[in-house]
Amino acid sequence: MTIDQLNQSKVPIIVFDKKLEEFKGKVLFPEKLKRANEILAIAGLPKVVIKK
Amino acid sequence: MTYYEFISEGPKGLIKKIVEFTETGTENVYNLGFADYDDKTKTTSDVSVSNNGDSLKVLATVASTVYAFTQKYPKAWILATGSTSVRTRLYRMGITNNLAEISDDFKVFGLNTNGEWEQFIVGEDYEAFLLTKKENIL
Repeated sequence: MTIDQLNQSKVPIIVFDKKLEEFKGKVLFPEKLKRANEILAIAGLPKVVIKK
Repeated sequence: MTYYEFISEGPKGLIKKIVEFTETGTENVYNLGFADYDDKTKTTSDVSVSNNGDSLKVLATVASTVYAFTQKYPKAWILATGSTSVRTRLYRMGITNNLAEISDDFKVFGLNTNGEWEQFIVGEDYEAFLLTKKENIL
């Protein structure tokens, strides 16, 4: 990949880090997830037509 | 769950950041969590202010993980809330400053003070943000 391509890419260059496996199955931000679920329960999704 | 990590590099040294996308109870909707990660204590802090002089770069990197995640899960909706009102405002500023570019690929919504989602309007106050790829909406 050239520098030019890198600069134009919106997606980061990802290196797989096996250390991240230690988080597998763990929710790191349970409070935020709880808040997200509360918001979704009350507000749902935006009133738009969603493509299936 | 999907995790991304990156390093903030600045006057305070190297600070590891972690971004987590977690499934919510709603199909295809994922919560975005983001925090500093301490390798020694193996704990995260999403309220810490690291003052490493690169908050815009950090925010841009978090945004880039959204691009990466939605490339992997194109039907995904991403919900983000700030852990503090200051951080929510920072997210709002980040979206505002890059709305033209973000809108090329995503539809962005904000949770307004009436508790309803509306298409993101610059200058409005929001409690939470939700986005999905444009092609997911008719």
